[in-house]
Amino acid sequence: MRSGDVAIDCKNLTKRYRGTKVDALHDLTIHVKAGEIYGFLGPNGAGKSTTIRTLMNFIQPTSGSATIMGKDIVADSVTIKRSVGYLSGDLSMYLKMTGAQFLEYMGELQPPVSQAYRKELIKRFQAELHKPLGELSRGNRQKIGIVQAFMHQPAVLILDEPTSGLDPLMQEEFYELLTEARQRGAAVFSSSHILGEVQKMCDRVGIIREGRLIAERSIADLAQEAAQTFDIVFKDKPPIGKLKQIKGTKETSVHGNTVTLHFHGELRPLFTELAQHDILKLDTQNLDLEEIFLRFYKQNGGWK
Amino acid sequence: MRSIIKWTLWQRRWSTMWWAIGIAFFILLTLVFYPSFKDAGMQLQKSFESLPKAALGLFGGSADFFSPVGYLNSQIFFLMLPLLLTMLAVALGSSLIAREEQDLTIELLLSRPVSRSKLLFAKIIAGTGVLVVVSLISLITVVIAAHLFDLSSVPASAVALTTFNCFLLAYTTGAIAFLLSATGRARGAAIGVATVVGFGGYIISSLAGTVHWLHGPSRAFPFNYFQSEAILRQTYHWTSALYFLGVIVGCGILSYIAFRRRDIA
Repeated sequence: MRSGDVAIDCKNLTKRYRGTKVDALHDLTIHVKAGEIYGFLGPNGAGKSTTIRTLMNFIQPTSGSATIMGKDIVADSVTIKRSVGYLSGDLSMYLKMTGAQFLEYMGELQPPVSQAYRKELIKRFQAELHKPLGELSRGNRQKIGIVQAFMHQPAVLILDEPTSGLDPLMQEEFYELLTEARQRGAAVFSSSHILGEVQKMCDRVGIIREGRLIAERSIADLAQEAAQTFDIVFKDKPPIGKLKQIKGTKETSVHGNTVTLHFHGELRPLFTELAQHDILKLDTQNLDLEEIFLRFYKQNGGWK
Repeated sequence: MRSIIKWTLWQRRWSTMWWAIGIAFFILLTLVFYPSFKDAGMQLQKSFESLPKAALGLFGGSADFFSPVGYLNSQIFFLMLPLLLTMLAVALGSSLIAREEQDLTIELLLSRPVSRSKLLFAKIIAGTGVLVVVSLISLITVVIAAHLFDLSSVPASAVALTTFNCFLLAYTTGAIAFLLSATGRARGAAIGVATVVGFGGYIISSLAGTVHWLHGPSRAFPFNYFQSEAILRQTYHWTSALYFLGVIVGCGILSYIAFRRRDIA
Protein backbone atom coordinates (compact mmCIF):
# COMPACT_ATOMS: atom_id res chain seq x y z
CA MET A 1 0.00 0.00 0.00
CA ARG A 2 1.42 3.38 -1.04
CA SER A 3 1.42 6.39 1.19
CA GLY A 4 -1.80 8.35 0.60
CA ASP A 5 -3.91 5.34 -0.41
CA VAL A 6 -7.01 4.87 1.70
CA ALA A 7 -6.25 2.17 4.26
CA ILE A 8 -9.36 2.35 6.46
CA ASP A 9 -12.62 3.36 4.84
CA CYS A 10 -15.89 3.45 6.81
CA LYS A 11 -19.13 4.25 5.03
CA ASN A 12 -22.22 4.98 7.10
CA LEU A 13 -21.09 2.49 9.69
CA THR A 14 -23.81 1.99 12.29
CA LYS A 15 -23.98 -0.25 15.31
CA ARG A 16 -26.94 -0.75 17.58
CA TYR A 17 -26.56 -3.32 20.33
CA ARG A 18 -29.30 -5.86 20.77
CA GLY A 19 -31.92 -4.76 23.26
CA THR A 20 -31.10 -1.06 22.97
CA LYS A 21 -32.98 1.68 21.18
CA VAL A 22 -30.07 4.01 20.52
CA ASP A 23 -27.24 3.59 18.06
CA ALA A 24 -23.93 3.18 19.83
CA LEU A 25 -22.42 4.25 16.53
CA HIS A 26 -24.39 6.19 13.96
CA ASP A 27 -23.63 6.65 10.29
CA LEU A 28 -19.88 6.93 10.76
CA THR A 29 -18.07 7.85 7.58
CA ILE A 30 -14.34 8.31 7.88
CA HIS A 31 -11.22 7.31 6.05
CA VAL A 32 -7.62 6.96 7.12
CA LYS A 33 -4.82 7.04 4.60
CA ALA A 34 -1.62 5.05 4.55
CA GLY A 35 1.07 7.08 6.25
CA GLU A 36 -1.45 8.96 8.36
CA ILE A 37 -2.15 8.94 12.09
CA TYR A 38 -5.81 9.51 12.79
CA GLY A 39 -6.89 10.37 16.31
CA PHE A 40 -10.36 9.43 17.39
CA LEU A 41 -11.34 11.65 20.21
CA GLY A 42 -14.23 11.59 22.61
CA PRO A 43 -15.13 11.07 26.23
CA ASN A 44 -15.81 7.65 27.71
CA GLY A 45 -18.91 6.05 26.21
CA ALA A 46 -18.88 8.23 23.07
CA GLY A 47 -18.45 5.24 20.74
CA LYS A 48 -14.67 5.05 20.27
CA SER A 49 -14.32 1.46 21.42
CA THR A 50 -17.47 0.44 19.53
CA THR A 51 -15.89 1.78 16.35
CA ILE A 52 -12.66 -0.07 17.01
CA ARG A 53 -14.40 -3.32 17.93
CA THR A 54 -16.49 -3.09 14.77
CA LEU A 55 -13.41 -2.50 12.63
CA MET A 56 -11.80 -5.52 14.26
CA ASN A 57 -14.96 -7.57 13.57
CA PHE A 58 -15.44 -8.42 17.24
CA ILE A 59 -18.93 -7.02 16.80
CA GLN A 60 -20.96 -6.87 13.62
CA PRO A 61 -22.14 -3.59 12.09
CA THR A 62 -25.91 -3.13 12.07
CA SER A 63 -25.66 -1.28 8.76
CA GLY A 64 -23.09 0.42 6.61
CA SER A 65 -19.77 -1.03 5.63
CA ALA A 66 -16.07 -0.63 6.13
CA THR A 67 -12.95 -1.82 4.43
CA ILE A 68 -9.38 -2.12 5.60
CA MET A 69 -6.84 -2.12 2.79
CA GLY A 70 -9.71 -2.54 0.37
CA LYS A 71 -11.09 -5.65 2.06
CA ASP A 72 -14.43 -5.92 3.81
CA ILE A 73 -14.12 -5.98 7.59
CA VAL A 74 -16.68 -8.77 7.97
CA ALA A 75 -16.18 -11.01 4.93
CA ASP A 76 -12.38 -10.69 4.78
CA SER A 77 -11.71 -10.32 8.47
CA VAL A 78 -9.06 -13.04 8.69
CA THR A 79 -7.13 -11.75 5.66
CA ILE A 80 -7.25 -8.22 7.04
CA LYS A 81 -5.80 -9.30 10.38
CA ARG A 82 -2.58 -10.32 8.64
CA SER A 83 -1.91 -6.63 8.13
CA VAL A 84 -3.31 -5.26 11.36
CA GLY A 85 -1.76 -4.58 14.74
CA TYR A 86 -4.24 -4.16 17.56
CA LEU A 87 -3.95 -2.83 21.07
CA SER A 88 -7.08 -3.06 23.18
CA GLY A 89 -8.09 -0.44 25.68
CA ASP A 90 -8.75 -2.95 28.44
CA LEU A 91 -5.45 -4.68 27.81
CA SER A 92 -6.72 -8.03 28.97
CA MET A 93 -4.00 -10.61 28.97
CA TYR A 94 -3.29 -14.12 30.15
CA LEU A 95 -2.22 -13.16 33.63
CA LYS A 96 -0.49 -16.43 34.46
CA MET A 97 1.78 -16.25 31.42
CA THR A 98 5.06 -14.42 31.59
CA GLY A 99 5.66 -11.62 29.10
CA ALA A 100 7.94 -13.94 27.12
CA GLN A 101 5.29 -16.68 26.92
CA PHE A 102 2.63 -14.18 25.95
CA LEU A 103 4.74 -12.73 23.14
CA GLU A 104 5.63 -16.25 22.00
CA TYR A 105 1.92 -17.13 21.82
CA MET A 106 1.02 -13.97 19.93
CA GLY A 107 4.04 -14.45 17.69
CA GLU A 108 2.95 -17.98 16.84
CA LEU A 109 -0.45 -16.69 15.76
CA GLN A 110 1.14 -13.96 13.67
CA PRO A 111 4.90 -14.28 13.30
CA PRO A 112 7.03 -11.12 13.62
CA VAL A 113 8.63 -9.91 10.40
CA SER A 114 11.99 -10.17 12.08
CA GLN A 115 13.08 -11.41 15.47
CA ALA A 116 15.57 -8.55 15.56
CA TYR A 117 12.76 -5.99 15.40
CA ARG A 118 10.86 -7.79 18.15
CA LYS A 119 13.98 -7.73 20.31
CA GLU A 120 14.50 -4.07 19.54
CA LEU A 121 10.96 -3.24 20.67
CA ILE A 122 11.42 -5.21 23.89
CA LYS A 123 14.62 -3.30 24.54
CA ARG A 124 13.18 0.11 23.70
CA PHE A 125 10.18 -0.37 25.97
CA GLN A 126 12.17 -2.18 28.66
CA ALA A 127 9.50 -4.86 28.66
CA GLU A 128 9.59 -7.17 31.68
CA LEU A 129 9.50 -10.66 30.17
CA HIS A 130 10.14 -12.99 33.05
CA LYS A 131 7.40 -12.21 35.54
CA PRO A 132 3.80 -13.41 35.22
CA LEU A 133 1.72 -10.68 33.61
CA GLY A 134 -0.58 -10.68 36.62
CA GLU A 135 2.30 -9.43 38.75
CA LEU A 136 3.10 -6.51 36.46
CA SER A 137 1.83 -2.96 36.82
CA ARG A 138 -0.65 -1.57 34.29
CA GLY A 139 2.15 0.35 32.59
CA ASN A 140 4.42 -2.67 32.29
CA ARG A 141 1.60 -4.73 30.81
CA GLN A 142 0.89 -1.89 28.39
CA LYS A 143 4.49 -2.03 27.18
CA ILE A 144 4.09 -5.72 26.37
CA GLY A 145 0.78 -4.90 24.68
CA ILE A 146 2.57 -2.36 22.50
CA VAL A 147 5.27 -4.88 21.57
CA GLN A 148 2.68 -7.47 20.49
CA ALA A 149 0.80 -4.88 18.42
CA PHE A 150 3.89 -3.60 16.58
CA MET A 151 6.20 -6.61 16.37
CA HIS A 152 4.95 -7.83 12.99
CA GLN A 153 5.26 -4.33 11.51
CA PRO A 154 1.63 -4.15 10.41
CA ALA A 155 0.42 -1.88 7.62
CA VAL A 156 -2.56 -0.80 9.75
CA LEU A 157 -2.52 -0.13 13.47
CA ILE A 158 -5.73 0.07 15.44
CA LEU A 159 -5.05 1.30 18.94
CA ASP A 160 -7.45 1.94 21.79
CA GLU A 161 -6.06 4.37 24.37
CA PRO A 162 -2.49 3.24 23.60
CA THR A 163 -0.55 5.20 26.19
CA SER A 164 -2.69 4.59 29.24
CA GLY A 165 -0.48 3.60 32.14
CA LEU A 166 2.78 4.55 30.43
CA ASP A 167 5.16 6.90 32.19
CA PRO A 168 6.15 10.10 30.31
CA LEU A 169 9.43 8.60 29.03
CA MET A 170 7.67 5.58 27.61
CA GLN A 171 4.97 7.82 26.14
CA GLU A 172 7.69 9.68 24.23
CA GLU A 173 9.12 6.36 23.07
CA PHE A 174 5.66 5.37 21.90
CA TYR A 175 5.19 8.61 19.94
CA GLU A 176 8.51 7.94 18.27
CA LEU A 177 7.40 4.44 17.39
CA LEU A 178 4.24 5.84 15.83
CA THR A 179 6.26 8.31 13.81
CA GLU A 180 8.40 5.44 12.52
CA ALA A 181 5.26 3.49 11.62
CA ARG A 182 3.95 6.51 9.73
CA GLN A 183 7.27 6.86 7.92
CA ARG A 184 7.12 3.31 6.67
CA GLY A 185 3.59 4.00 5.38
CA ALA A 186 1.42 2.47 8.08
CA ALA A 187 -2.05 3.85 8.70
CA VAL A 188 -2.78 4.42 12.37
CA PHE A 189 -6.22 4.73 13.89
CA SER A 190 -5.94 5.57 17.55
CA SER A 191 -8.63 6.43 20.04
CA SER A 192 -7.90 8.64 22.96
CA HIS A 193 -9.53 10.93 25.42
CA ILE A 194 -6.23 12.63 26.20
CA LEU A 195 -6.20 15.78 24.15
CA GLY A 196 -2.54 16.55 24.49
CA GLU A 197 -1.66 13.11 23.25
CA VAL A 198 -3.80 13.44 20.14
CA GLN A 199 -2.32 16.84 19.50
CA LYS A 200 1.15 15.43 19.79
CA MET A 201 0.87 12.32 17.70
CA CYS A 202 -1.92 12.75 15.13
CA ASP A 203 -2.21 14.22 11.67
CA ARG A 204 -5.99 14.38 11.77
CA VAL A 205 -8.62 14.02 14.43
CA GLY A 206 -12.24 12.97 14.43
CA ILE A 207 -14.36 14.01 17.35
CA ILE A 208 -17.14 11.65 18.30
CA ARG A 209 -20.06 12.30 20.57
CA GLU A 210 -22.89 9.89 21.39
CA GLY A 211 -21.88 7.67 18.49
CA ARG A 212 -21.82 10.47 15.90
CA LEU A 213 -18.83 12.08 14.29
CA ILE A 214 -19.33 15.74 15.04
CA ALA A 215 -16.12 17.14 13.57
CA GLU A 216 -13.11 16.04 11.60
CA ARG A 217 -10.10 18.27 11.10
CA SER A 218 -6.41 18.06 10.44
CA ILE A 219 -4.27 19.20 13.34
CA ALA A 220 -3.02 21.99 11.07
CA ASP A 221 -6.59 23.20 10.46
CA LEU A 222 -7.36 22.99 14.13
CA ALA A 223 -4.32 25.11 14.83
CA GLN A 224 -5.71 27.73 12.46
CA GLU A 225 -9.07 27.64 14.17
CA ALA A 226 -7.68 27.54 17.63
CA ALA A 227 -7.51 30.46 19.92
CA GLN A 228 -3.98 31.30 20.98
CA THR A 229 -3.38 31.59 24.64
CA PHE A 230 -1.16 34.32 26.05
CA ASP A 231 0.04 34.65 29.61
CA ILE A 232 0.84 38.35 30.13
CA VAL A 233 2.43 39.76 33.26
CA PHE A 234 1.83 43.52 33.59
CA LYS A 235 3.98 45.78 35.70
CA ASP A 236 0.89 47.59 36.96
CA LYS A 237 -2.77 46.79 37.20
CA PRO A 238 -3.84 44.97 34.00
CA PRO A 239 -6.17 46.92 31.62
CA ILE A 240 -8.67 44.08 31.67
CA GLY A 241 -11.61 46.18 30.44
CA LYS A 242 -9.73 47.32 27.35
CA LEU A 243 -8.40 43.84 26.62
CA LYS A 244 -11.92 42.41 26.68
CA GLN A 245 -13.04 44.99 24.14
CA ILE A 246 -10.44 43.98 21.56
CA LYS A 247 -11.95 42.04 18.66
CA GLY A 248 -10.82 38.42 18.89
CA THR A 249 -10.59 38.20 22.68
CA LYS A 250 -12.47 35.14 23.75
CA GLU A 251 -11.78 34.65 27.41
CA THR A 252 -9.66 36.29 30.01
CA SER A 253 -8.70 35.40 33.51
CA VAL A 254 -6.76 37.54 35.95
CA HIS A 255 -4.49 36.52 38.82
CA GLY A 256 -2.89 39.62 40.37
CA ASN A 257 -0.98 41.32 37.58
CA THR A 258 -1.09 38.26 35.33
CA VAL A 259 -3.70 37.92 32.60
CA THR A 260 -4.37 34.73 30.68
CA LEU A 261 -5.94 35.63 27.39
CA HIS A 262 -7.53 33.34 24.79
CA PHE A 263 -7.35 35.16 21.50
CA HIS A 264 -8.40 34.31 17.97
CA GLY A 265 -7.87 36.50 14.91
CA GLU A 266 -5.78 39.48 13.88
CA LEU A 267 -3.08 40.13 16.49
CA ARG A 268 -2.30 43.78 15.63
CA PRO A 269 -5.07 45.36 17.83
CA LEU A 270 -3.96 43.27 20.76
CA PHE A 271 -0.32 44.21 20.49
CA THR A 272 -1.21 47.86 19.86
CA GLU A 273 -3.01 47.87 23.19
CA LEU A 274 -0.23 45.97 24.94
CA ALA A 275 2.36 48.43 23.60
CA GLN A 276 0.76 51.11 25.76
CA HIS A 277 1.58 49.24 28.97
CA ASP A 278 4.67 48.00 30.75
CA ILE A 279 4.84 44.25 30.16
CA LEU A 280 7.19 42.22 32.36
CA LYS A 281 6.64 38.92 30.61
CA LEU A 282 4.65 37.48 27.72
CA ASP A 283 4.30 33.73 27.09
CA THR A 284 2.29 31.91 24.45
CA GLN A 285 0.91 28.47 25.09
CA ASN A 286 0.81 25.71 22.50
CA LEU A 287 -2.28 24.88 20.48
CA ASP A 288 -5.08 24.46 22.97
CA LEU A 289 -6.93 21.44 21.68
CA GLU A 290 -8.93 21.24 24.86
CA GLU A 291 -10.52 24.58 24.11
CA ILE A 292 -11.46 23.38 20.61
CA PHE A 293 -12.74 20.11 21.91
CA LEU A 294 -14.98 21.81 24.44
CA ARG A 295 -16.18 24.20 21.77
CA PHE A 296 -17.25 21.33 19.54
CA TYR A 297 -19.09 19.72 22.39
CA LYS A 298 -20.78 22.95 23.40
CA GLN A 299 -21.82 23.64 19.82
CA ASN A 300 -23.36 20.19 19.58
CA GLY A 301 -25.52 20.22 22.61
CA GLY A 302 -23.00 20.26 25.41
CA TRP A 303 -21.98 17.45 27.68
CA LYS A 304 -24.61 15.04 28.75
CA MET B 1 -4.72 -23.41 15.39
CA ARG B 2 -1.99 -25.60 16.82
CA SER B 3 -0.82 -22.71 18.97
CA ILE B 4 -4.25 -22.16 20.47
CA ILE B 5 -4.50 -25.86 21.30
CA LYS B 6 -1.00 -25.87 22.78
CA TRP B 7 -1.49 -22.80 24.94
CA THR B 8 -4.99 -23.81 26.04
CA LEU B 9 -3.57 -27.14 27.20
CA TRP B 10 -0.72 -25.26 28.88
CA GLN B 11 -3.21 -23.12 30.77
CA ARG B 12 -5.14 -26.20 31.86
CA ARG B 13 -2.13 -28.32 32.78
CA TRP B 14 -2.40 -28.02 36.55
CA SER B 15 -6.19 -28.38 36.73
CA THR B 16 -5.97 -31.42 34.44
CA MET B 17 -3.34 -32.95 36.67
CA TRP B 18 -5.42 -32.38 39.82
CA TRP B 19 -8.55 -33.77 38.19
CA ALA B 20 -6.64 -36.89 37.14
CA ILE B 21 -5.07 -37.32 40.59
CA GLY B 22 -8.42 -36.73 42.31
CA ILE B 23 -10.31 -39.25 40.20
CA ALA B 24 -7.52 -41.82 40.45
CA PHE B 25 -7.53 -41.36 44.21
CA PHE B 26 -11.32 -41.90 44.41
CA ILE B 27 -11.05 -45.02 42.28
CA LEU B 28 -8.26 -46.48 44.40
CA LEU B 29 -10.05 -45.59 47.62
CA THR B 30 -13.18 -47.35 46.37
CA LEU B 31 -11.55 -50.48 44.99
CA VAL B 32 -9.09 -51.04 47.81
CA PHE B 33 -11.98 -52.15 50.04
CA TYR B 34 -13.31 -54.76 47.63
CA PRO B 35 -11.41 -57.72 49.17
CA SER B 36 -13.01 -56.95 52.56
CA PHE B 37 -16.51 -56.41 51.11
CA LYS B 38 -16.34 -59.51 48.99
CA ASP B 39 -16.27 -61.81 52.03
CA ALA B 40 -19.16 -60.13 53.82
CA GLY B 41 -20.97 -59.77 50.54
CA MET B 42 -23.21 -62.85 50.63
CA GLN B 43 -25.14 -61.65 53.66
CA LEU B 44 -25.35 -58.05 52.45
CA GLN B 45 -26.42 -59.24 49.03
CA LYS B 46 -29.70 -60.56 50.46
CA SER B 47 -30.43 -57.20 52.07
CA PHE B 48 -29.88 -55.41 48.79
CA GLU B 49 -32.06 -57.83 46.87
CA SER B 50 -34.97 -56.82 49.08
CA LEU B 51 -34.61 -53.14 48.10
CA PRO B 52 -37.46 -51.68 46.01
CA LYS B 53 -36.86 -51.48 42.28
CA ALA B 54 -36.89 -47.67 42.31
CA ALA B 55 -34.11 -47.61 44.90
CA LEU B 56 -32.10 -50.15 42.94
CA GLY B 57 -32.53 -47.96 39.89
CA LEU B 58 -30.48 -45.27 41.58
CA PHE B 59 -27.61 -47.76 41.93
CA GLY B 60 -27.72 -49.01 38.38
CA GLY B 61 -30.82 -51.19 38.43
CA SER B 62 -29.02 -54.30 39.58
CA ALA B 63 -28.96 -55.95 42.99
CA ASP B 64 -25.55 -57.42 42.22
CA PHE B 65 -23.13 -55.35 44.27
CA PHE B 66 -20.50 -57.82 45.31
CA SER B 67 -19.47 -59.78 42.25
CA PRO B 68 -16.47 -58.15 40.52
CA VAL B 69 -18.72 -56.82 37.73
CA GLY B 70 -21.41 -55.72 40.19
CA TYR B 71 -18.91 -53.95 42.43
CA LEU B 72 -17.15 -52.15 39.58
CA ASN B 73 -20.49 -51.12 38.12
CA SER B 74 -22.16 -49.90 41.29
CA GLN B 75 -19.11 -48.26 42.85
CA ILE B 76 -17.22 -46.87 39.87
CA PHE B 77 -18.98 -46.91 36.55
CA PHE B 78 -22.63 -46.36 37.27
CA LEU B 79 -22.27 -43.09 39.09
CA MET B 80 -18.87 -42.02 40.40
CA LEU B 81 -16.79 -41.96 37.22
CA PRO B 82 -19.53 -40.57 34.93
CA LEU B 83 -20.36 -37.99 37.59
CA LEU B 84 -16.77 -36.79 37.95
CA LEU B 85 -16.04 -36.85 34.22
CA THR B 86 -19.29 -35.00 33.54
CA MET B 87 -18.36 -32.34 36.10
CA LEU B 88 -15.03 -31.92 34.36
CA ALA B 89 -16.64 -31.85 30.90
CA VAL B 90 -19.22 -29.24 31.96
CA ALA B 91 -16.48 -27.12 33.54
CA LEU B 92 -14.49 -27.34 30.31
CA GLY B 93 -17.43 -26.83 27.97
CA SER B 94 -18.66 -23.80 29.84
CA SER B 95 -15.27 -22.13 30.06
CA LEU B 96 -13.19 -22.88 26.96
CA ILE B 97 -14.75 -20.00 25.03
CA ALA B 98 -16.61 -18.22 27.81
CA ARG B 99 -13.59 -17.59 30.02
CA GLU B 100 -11.66 -16.08 27.12
CA GLU B 101 -14.67 -13.91 26.45
CA GLN B 102 -15.16 -12.99 30.09
CA ASP B 103 -11.48 -12.06 30.46
CA LEU B 104 -11.55 -10.30 27.06
CA THR B 105 -8.50 -12.32 25.97
CA ILE B 106 -10.58 -13.59 23.06
CA GLU B 107 -9.94 -10.20 21.43
CA LEU B 108 -6.23 -10.93 21.41
CA LEU B 109 -6.83 -14.17 19.55
CA LEU B 110 -9.31 -12.70 17.08
CA SER B 111 -7.04 -9.73 16.43
CA ARG B 112 -4.65 -12.21 14.82
CA PRO B 113 -5.39 -13.94 11.50
CA VAL B 114 -7.43 -16.66 13.20
CA SER B 115 -10.95 -17.41 11.98
CA ARG B 116 -13.68 -17.96 14.49
CA SER B 117 -14.23 -21.48 13.21
CA LYS B 118 -10.56 -22.33 13.77
CA LEU B 119 -10.68 -20.81 17.23
CA LEU B 120 -13.78 -22.84 18.05
CA PHE B 121 -12.27 -26.01 16.65
CA ALA B 122 -9.00 -25.48 18.50
CA LYS B 123 -10.87 -25.05 21.77
CA ILE B 124 -12.91 -28.20 21.11
CA ILE B 125 -9.72 -30.19 20.43
CA ALA B 126 -8.03 -28.85 23.56
CA GLY B 127 -11.08 -29.63 25.71
CA THR B 128 -11.34 -33.08 24.19
CA GLY B 129 -7.66 -33.61 24.91
CA VAL B 130 -8.10 -32.80 28.59
CA LEU B 131 -11.11 -35.12 28.90
CA VAL B 132 -9.29 -37.91 27.05
CA VAL B 133 -6.23 -37.62 29.30
CA VAL B 134 -8.30 -37.73 32.50
CA SER B 135 -10.43 -40.60 31.15
CA LEU B 136 -7.32 -42.58 30.17
CA ILE B 137 -5.75 -42.08 33.59
CA SER B 138 -9.04 -43.21 35.14
CA LEU B 139 -9.03 -46.28 32.92
CA ILE B 140 -5.44 -47.16 33.74
CA THR B 141 -6.15 -46.70 37.44
CA VAL B 142 -9.19 -48.99 37.29
CA VAL B 143 -7.30 -51.66 35.35
CA ILE B 144 -4.35 -51.61 37.75
CA ALA B 145 -6.56 -51.46 40.86
CA ALA B 146 -8.76 -54.26 39.53
CA HIS B 147 -5.65 -56.38 39.11
CA LEU B 148 -4.44 -55.59 42.61
CA PHE B 149 -7.72 -55.99 44.48
CA ASP B 150 -9.27 -59.26 43.26
CA LEU B 151 -11.33 -57.77 40.43
CA SER B 152 -9.19 -59.05 37.59
CA SER B 153 -11.91 -61.44 36.41
CA VAL B 154 -13.51 -58.44 34.67
CA PRO B 155 -11.82 -58.20 31.25
CA ALA B 156 -9.74 -55.07 30.71
CA SER B 157 -11.50 -54.62 27.36
CA ALA B 158 -14.88 -54.39 29.13
CA VAL B 159 -13.42 -51.86 31.58
CA ALA B 160 -12.03 -49.87 28.65
CA LEU B 161 -15.37 -49.86 26.80
CA THR B 162 -17.27 -48.83 29.93
CA THR B 163 -14.81 -46.00 30.55
CA PHE B 164 -15.30 -44.99 26.93
CA ASN B 165 -19.05 -44.93 27.51
CA CYS B 166 -18.50 -42.71 30.59
CA PHE B 167 -16.35 -40.48 28.38
CA LEU B 168 -19.12 -40.25 25.77
CA LEU B 169 -21.73 -39.40 28.41
CA ALA B 170 -19.50 -36.70 29.90
CA TYR B 171 -18.52 -35.39 26.47
CA THR B 172 -22.17 -35.10 25.46
CA THR B 173 -23.02 -33.03 28.53
CA GLY B 174 -19.90 -30.94 28.05
CA ALA B 175 -20.89 -30.36 24.41
CA ILE B 176 -24.23 -28.95 25.56
CA ALA B 177 -22.42 -26.58 27.95
CA PHE B 178 -20.04 -25.61 25.13
CA LEU B 179 -22.95 -24.87 22.79
CA LEU B 180 -24.61 -22.63 25.36
CA SER B 181 -21.42 -20.70 26.01
CA ALA B 182 -20.75 -20.43 22.25
CA THR B 183 -24.12 -18.73 21.83
CA GLY B 184 -22.97 -16.11 24.31
CA ARG B 185 -24.84 -17.32 27.37
CA ALA B 186 -23.15 -16.64 30.67
CA ARG B 187 -20.98 -19.39 32.09
CA GLY B 188 -23.42 -19.85 34.96
CA ALA B 189 -26.29 -20.52 32.58
CA ALA B 190 -24.19 -22.99 30.57
CA ILE B 191 -23.17 -24.85 33.73
CA GLY B 192 -26.73 -24.81 35.07
CA VAL B 193 -28.44 -26.14 31.96
CA ALA B 194 -25.77 -28.77 31.30
CA THR B 195 -25.97 -29.93 34.91
CA VAL B 196 -29.75 -30.25 34.70
CA VAL B 197 -29.41 -32.25 31.48
CA GLY B 198 -26.63 -34.40 32.94
CA PHE B 199 -27.80 -35.09 36.47
CA GLY B 200 -31.51 -34.51 35.96
CA GLY B 201 -31.16 -37.17 33.31
CA TYR B 202 -29.59 -39.50 35.87
CA ILE B 203 -32.57 -39.15 38.21
CA ILE B 204 -35.18 -39.41 35.45
CA SER B 205 -33.50 -42.35 33.71
CA SER B 206 -33.02 -44.17 37.02
CA LEU B 207 -36.66 -43.76 37.97
CA ALA B 208 -38.01 -44.50 34.50
CA GLY B 209 -37.91 -48.24 35.23
CA THR B 210 -40.60 -47.88 37.90
CA VAL B 211 -42.34 -44.61 37.03
CA HIS B 212 -43.75 -45.45 33.63
CA TRP B 213 -44.66 -41.95 32.50
CA LEU B 214 -40.97 -40.99 32.83
CA HIS B 215 -40.03 -43.60 30.27
CA GLY B 216 -40.71 -41.30 27.28
CA PRO B 217 -39.01 -38.14 28.65
CA SER B 218 -36.01 -40.15 29.84
CA ARG B 219 -35.14 -40.90 26.21
CA ALA B 220 -34.24 -37.28 25.69
CA PHE B 221 -31.47 -37.40 28.31
CA PRO B 222 -27.95 -38.69 27.72
CA PHE B 223 -27.98 -40.81 30.85
CA ASN B 224 -30.69 -43.02 29.32
CA TYR B 225 -28.12 -44.26 26.78
CA PHE B 226 -25.45 -44.88 29.34
CA GLN B 227 -25.63 -48.51 30.47
CA SER B 228 -22.48 -49.36 32.32
CA GLU B 229 -23.57 -52.75 33.59
CA ALA B 230 -24.60 -53.91 30.12
CA ILE B 231 -21.17 -52.98 28.78
CA LEU B 232 -19.34 -54.71 31.62
CA ARG B 233 -21.47 -57.82 30.99
CA GLN B 234 -20.88 -57.32 27.25
CA THR B 235 -24.59 -57.10 26.40
CA TYR B 236 -24.64 -53.40 25.42
CA HIS B 237 -26.04 -52.43 22.06
CA TRP B 238 -23.57 -49.90 20.75
CA THR B 239 -26.24 -48.37 18.54
CA SER B 240 -27.28 -46.55 21.75
CA ALA B 241 -23.96 -44.70 21.58
CA LEU B 242 -25.11 -43.12 18.34
CA TYR B 243 -27.24 -40.84 20.51
CA PHE B 244 -24.05 -39.44 22.06
CA LEU B 245 -22.41 -38.99 18.69
CA GLY B 246 -25.52 -37.27 17.34
CA VAL B 247 -25.71 -34.80 20.22
CA ILE B 248 -21.94 -34.12 20.11
CA VAL B 249 -21.89 -33.48 16.36
CA GLY B 250 -25.15 -31.48 16.55
CA CYS B 251 -23.78 -29.29 19.36
CA GLY B 252 -20.55 -28.78 17.41
CA ILE B 253 -22.41 -27.62 14.29
CA LEU B 254 -24.79 -25.39 16.24
CA SER B 255 -21.86 -23.91 18.20
CA TYR B 256 -20.19 -22.98 14.92
CA ILE B 257 -23.36 -21.40 13.53
CA ALA B 258 -23.96 -19.45 16.75
CA PHE B 259 -20.37 -18.29 17.24
CA ARG B 260 -19.49 -17.49 13.63
CA ARG B 261 -21.18 -14.13 13.40
CA ARG B 262 -22.24 -13.10 16.86
CA ASP B 263 -20.96 -10.11 18.78
CA ILE B 264 -18.18 -10.85 21.19
CA ALA B 265 -19.30 -9.49 24.53
